[in-house]
Amino acid sequence: MHMTNPAGGLPSRSKRTEVLEKRPVNLDGFVEEWPEVGMVAMDSPYDPEPGVRVENGVIVEMDGRRRADFDFLDQFIADHAIDVAVTERAMAIPAAEIAHMLVDPRVPREEVLAVSRGLTPAKLLEVVKTMNVVEMMMALQKMRARRTPANQAHSTSAQDNPIQVAAEAAEAALRGFRELETTLGVVRYAPLVAIALQVGAQAGKPGVLTQCALEEATELELGMRGITAYAETISVYGTEPVFCDGDDTPWSKAFLASAYASRGIKMRFTSGTGSEVQMGYAESRSMLYLEIRCILVTKGAGVQGLQNGSISCIGVPGAVPAGIRAVLAENLIASTVDLECASGNDQSFSHSDLRRAARLLPQLLPGTDFICSGYSAVPNYDNMFAGSNLDAEDYDDWNVIQRDLQVDGALRHVPEAEILAARNRAARALQAVFAHLGLPPITEEEIDAATYAHGSNELPLRDVLEDLKGAQRVMDGGVTGLDIVKALHAGGFEDIAESLLGVLKQRVSGDLLHTSAILTPELTTLSAINDANDYAGPGTGYRPSGDRWEEMKALRHVVSARDPEREVG
Amino acid sequence: MTLVAGVDIGNSTTEACVAEIGQDGDIRYLAAALAPTTGVKGTTDNVKGVAEVVREALARAGRDQADLRTVLINEATPVISGLAMETITETIITESTMIGHNPDTPGGAGLGVGVTVAFGDLLRRSPGEEVICVAGAGLDFEEVAAGINRAAARGVRVTGAIVRSDDATLIVNRLREPIPVVDEVTLVERVPLGMRAAVEVAPPGHTIRTLSDSYGIAGVFDLDAEQTRMIAPVARALVGNRSAVVVRTPSGEVTGRRIPAGELTLIGERGKATAEVGSGAEEIMRALRRVEPLLDAAGEPGTHVGGMLARVRGTMSELTATPLDGVRIQDVLAVDTFVPQRVRGGLAGEFALENAVGLAAMVRTSRGPMELLAAGLRDTLGAEVLIGGVEAEMAVLGALTTPGAGTPVAVLDLGGGSTDGALATGDGTVESVHLAGAGDLVTSLIDSELGLEDREAAEEIKKHPLAKAESFFHVRMEDGTARFFEDPLPAEAFARVVVLTDAGPRPIHTRHGMEKIRRVRRAAKRRVFVANALRALARVAPGGDIRRIGFVVVLGGSALDFEIPEMIAAAVAEYGVVSGTGNVRGREGPRNAVATGLVVRHAMSAHALR
Amino acid sequence: MSHTASAATVSAGGPAAGGYTLRLTDKGPAQARHRADEVVIGVSPAFGGLFTKTIVGIPHAEVLRELLAGVEEQGVHARVVRVPASSDLAVIAHTAAKLSGSGIAVGILSRGTTMIHQKDLVRLSNLELFPQAPLLDLETFRLVGHNAARYAKGESPQPVASRNDYMARPRWQAKAALLHIKETQLVRPGAVPVELEVSITRAGLD
Repeated sequence: MHMTNPAGGLPSRSKRTEVLEKRPVNLDGFVEEWPEVGMVAMDSPYDPEPGVRVENGVIVEMDGRRRADFDFLDQFIADHAIDVAVTERAMAIPAAEIAHMLVDPRVPREEVLAVSRGLTPAKLLEVVKTMNVVEMMMALQKMRARRTPANQAHSTSAQDNPIQVAAEAAEAALRGFRELETTLGVVRYAPLVAIALQVGAQAGKPGVLTQCALEEATELELGMRGITAYAETISVYGTEPVFCDGDDTPWSKAFLASAYASRGIKMRFTSGTGSEVQMGYAESRSMLYLEIRCILVTKGAGVQGLQNGSISCIGVPGAVPAGIRAVLAENLIASTVDLECASGNDQSFSHSDLRRAARLLPQLLPGTDFICSGYSAVPNYDNMFAGSNLDAEDYDDWNVIQRDLQVDGALRHVPEAEILAARNRAARALQAVFAHLGLPPITEEEIDAATYAHGSNELPLRDVLEDLKGAQRVMDGGVTGLDIVKALHAGGFEDIAESLLGVLKQRVSGDLLHTSAILTPELTTLSAINDANDYAGPGTGYRPSGDRWEEMKALRHVVSARDPEREVG
Repeated sequence: MTLVAGVDIGNSTTEACVAEIGQDGDIRYLAAALAPTTGVKGTTDNVKGVAEVVREALARAGRDQADLRTVLINEATPVISGLAMETITETIITESTMIGHNPDTPGGAGLGVGVTVAFGDLLRRSPGEEVICVAGAGLDFEEVAAGINRAAARGVRVTGAIVRSDDATLIVNRLREPIPVVDEVTLVERVPLGMRAAVEVAPPGHTIRTLSDSYGIAGVFDLDAEQTRMIAPVARALVGNRSAVVVRTPSGEVTGRRIPAGELTLIGERGKATAEVGSGAEEIMRALRRVEPLLDAAGEPGTHVGGMLARVRGTMSELTATPLDGVRIQDVLAVDTFVPQRVRGGLAGEFALENAVGLAAMVRTSRGPMELLAAGLRDTLGAEVLIGGVEAEMAVLGALTTPGAGTPVAVLDLGGGSTDGALATGDGTVESVHLAGAGDLVTSLIDSELGLEDREAAEEIKKHPLAKAESFFHVRMEDGTARFFEDPLPAEAFARVVVLTDAGPRPIHTRHGMEKIRRVRRAAKRRVFVANALRALARVAPGGDIRRIGFVVVLGGSALDFEIPEMIAAAVAEYGVVSGTGNVRGREGPRNAVATGLVVRHAMSAHALR
Repeated sequence: MSHTASAATVSAGGPAAGGYTLRLTDKGPAQARHRADEVVIGVSPAFGGLFTKTIVGIPHAEVLRELLAGVEEQGVHARVVRVPASSDLAVIAHTAAKLSGSGIAVGILSRGTTMIHQKDLVRLSNLELFPQAPLLDLETFRLVGHNAARYAKGESPQPVASRNDYMARPRWQAKAALLHIKETQLVRPGAVPVELEVSITRAGLD
């Protein structure tokens, strides 16, 4: 075929380039490395050499820095995170050897922990630098604390609409999430939305734990009152200036952590690669080195777990070479020092669907304590955490990937009728609770809309003024989780009341303070204590089978083998 | 001695009064408390709130719940109200005759007259021609100024300009000869070209003189008497503007149109009357006076008022779980108001203040399930529960504990949804009335007249005095005085009109100045609270004559408002009536009247029985 | 990195898409003024110098032109100063506000992040902040100038509507960090603010 160019001469660009230019991945941002300022994922000539020296039971030198020169992170880590008794022995083991221990399924998890508790930040970095992503996934499969993987969702509303949040929480619970998180556009709405999240979650499936991300004092108060069940947004950073920018120190964060523990409330810290270079205070260290310092500060504070995997700074490691490898390494190291790990995948990451999936697989395939520390259970336009890597429109894709690979992502396909019933019941239960607490009424129209809605665009607007007054009354009137239980009971939702009471009882037993604790729908605790990860190579550890595997086989459209004209599921 | 608690379940607040009653009926008041009412008034949902408030009062009195003998509750018939607002006029500009808006910064000053010419055609005009330059979207201010300068250099007399962007000052600053420029004309492409037009801009702080005057326009366009009559509405529409454009087109005009809003039918004890809503509030209220007390009201189906009443009825039906056809509207209050509306045919997003009618309607539902409520309370509090007393009578008894009050006394309770009035003549009879319209309607009027579209802001304006934050350390109060602060005001309050709430100054996001907001607020309160106070007093007064009432005691939350009691006092003073804020038992202020009244009545009857 | 904007240099950005050329000439230490009808625009160390465009490629010449036009349209005067001692937007804006006769200033970073500040506010506070630099277009910059001038006149402008886009993170987060770091390297601690003479010219226009 003969081609002519109407303009005469050669086109300036190939058709192929034109097609490629239009691919969504080219809307993502990529930058060169610049190790001098910390714009490098994990391989920087400026990271310190590992080393440790102990005198009289005190670490006097760590990673090439003498005690007199320690910044407050060094001091906190040296004094509280590293086991002085084993550190010199552990540090003597070559990094590659420790990496082998991590990857080799025949080395039990306990044996690795005995070494890792003596490792300094630079040593942990050296260990993961010897590993590629497949080796890291092998290691993560073994080092994750809880045997059974779980998942966490964001249930938020762009209108802060409590009825929507209740319905979304119920659906998310039904689909398998064991922890739900919300936050607000208008902060004063928090008590109502936190109540909605709690009621909706228990209506969907008993024992789901809920939290509301807020400024630290209010978040703690809601927790102490039993309106929420756990907390997560307690951020730590890898250099002193960034820590100080938030008027904090490792000690102040540890103090806050102990406030939660004093009431038997589960909590974890949050950190992630990229935050320090983003603020311009990376002190010439790689992103991963600084993140390892955060992981060890968490360990040193006595907190059971950590949400990491870059989190809100994912655009930074995502833009540099090997950045997503470093993000996987963060998750692995958190697990390697025996922390619960809620492993990111919780913020808008890429315009490309392919790249979104590739960023997810390193956590999904080996399984983590919470694969997403925030799968958006609402469409991203409703996500008040500024969007997630996965949202409500990805449910079917997730379920298919689980089924294709026989990997448990902790979610399931649920028939529409069941979802509608759960959403409706959650909204009705919230209606009863609002009525009982004297909060602004919830109408039938709102319940119907919340039952069938995809997002807040389809919901009638609330009388925000009345709602905010109600929210203030909740705060002033000292409403607690027990009041919600009574309200549910009085409204005829005895089973939901029972579930919520069960969740509240946990703070008396303190079982949720164990590492990686979640509640089963039967309201028993599942944690690293009674459900310890026992992976030891092929044929061992957690594998989806039996009823769970049957459940995972169901999808929206599966052609019946018996009658190919019909679909099942 | 018997320990009793009087409890008043109100629409929004539940109040309690704990007292001891002696052998001979003497009362020793111990404590009072209040809390938000839980659920709809008069339903079993109230139990929680009542129990809470009784326990609170007992705790304050230092008494044990086990000692509580009797709980006295009022007959709480829920009074529920609904609101609607309907615009009844609209302004239409045809053939883009006029631009009458107030951009922040028009340019230049004076009057320019000429034929409208697109900016791009400016250089094609002949020297000596008088033209008005019309500059559309996408043109830069330097470009426009340079173009006008070039045309002027060639002898074209550019006398004024109409531009799309907010560029008037920028353009005028770059002209060799300044001309009046009207900017921010969003639909500039619809300005007719090749027509004679006039552009007028007044100096800062002034308003236009020529185009807002019929003879001024007639002079500019050489109009005869008949044509001048035609143009008069244009001049009227431009009064008060700082800048304007008038284009003379063959049949362009500005018209005001009445929107057919439908007929309201009022069915009263004294017959049936109809009123056209489009005729305004006074017409509706006149019809109401002919037939009241009202039994029900209906709106013409398929019209605005039909839809309005259907919404009110729907809300009430849902709230009270009554079937739609069982809902009876027992009072309405119509209020004339203005709503800023976008002018149809306007070129610059002009707004006109259109007439509107606000309508509050009220339903008194059937007596609630009081027996069930009493039983629930009996279980919760472990005390005898007596339902007794019409609310209004109890309020009067409570009000009479105000030091200085005597019979005949009328009480006014100005709530959120309704205005309640009662009169005790001294011979033991009490007349009472519930009227539609109170605080919620005031909030709606403030919201719509200021174009806020933010009820929360409107509510704050209603409740608190205004001030302007002139620096971070002082505000100018609405009465002109200055108030200084030790700590700086919040950043978002800077340079804004603020309401001085208990929690500190809160900014109001509006273009309006403090004086305008204050005027709207006070007018709204006068039209609702004062009007309703007089209406209520006339309804309960002997022979409808307010002069025959001796004392008026204002009760309830609105009595705590910073200006309502004084507005009512001023209004009833004309009738020779003493009005003031209640001070129940000389210590509770306007609160706790019904709860106290219940105790008083119980003590009287207990003594009488003995 | 060796680039430093010395006090005597004339920095110039070449003609960009809109065809405007920006020349910022150093006029010596900036003085506080007392005329109440002025707004000061404080620019960051690399603005119109090492960097010539915002994070999304809008030429600084046009950004500054719109800010100045927004102020001028309100009948208020504008002065431009460079704050060489910091790359922290709050510091730049607050420093400029303290030099401003009206107490009102606009601060702007090279990448486009902008803030309106007032001298009596604490530094970490502000009157209006536009944190998402990628979403700021010329129209927004005009409105920022417009609002700053209205604050200077003691009026109550409606805050410029802020926009949000959750997909800005994957696209711009890392580039923003690089721009911030580069700008920070030009910071000369302790250096006093410098008055700038601004010339924005366009070929072919008189």
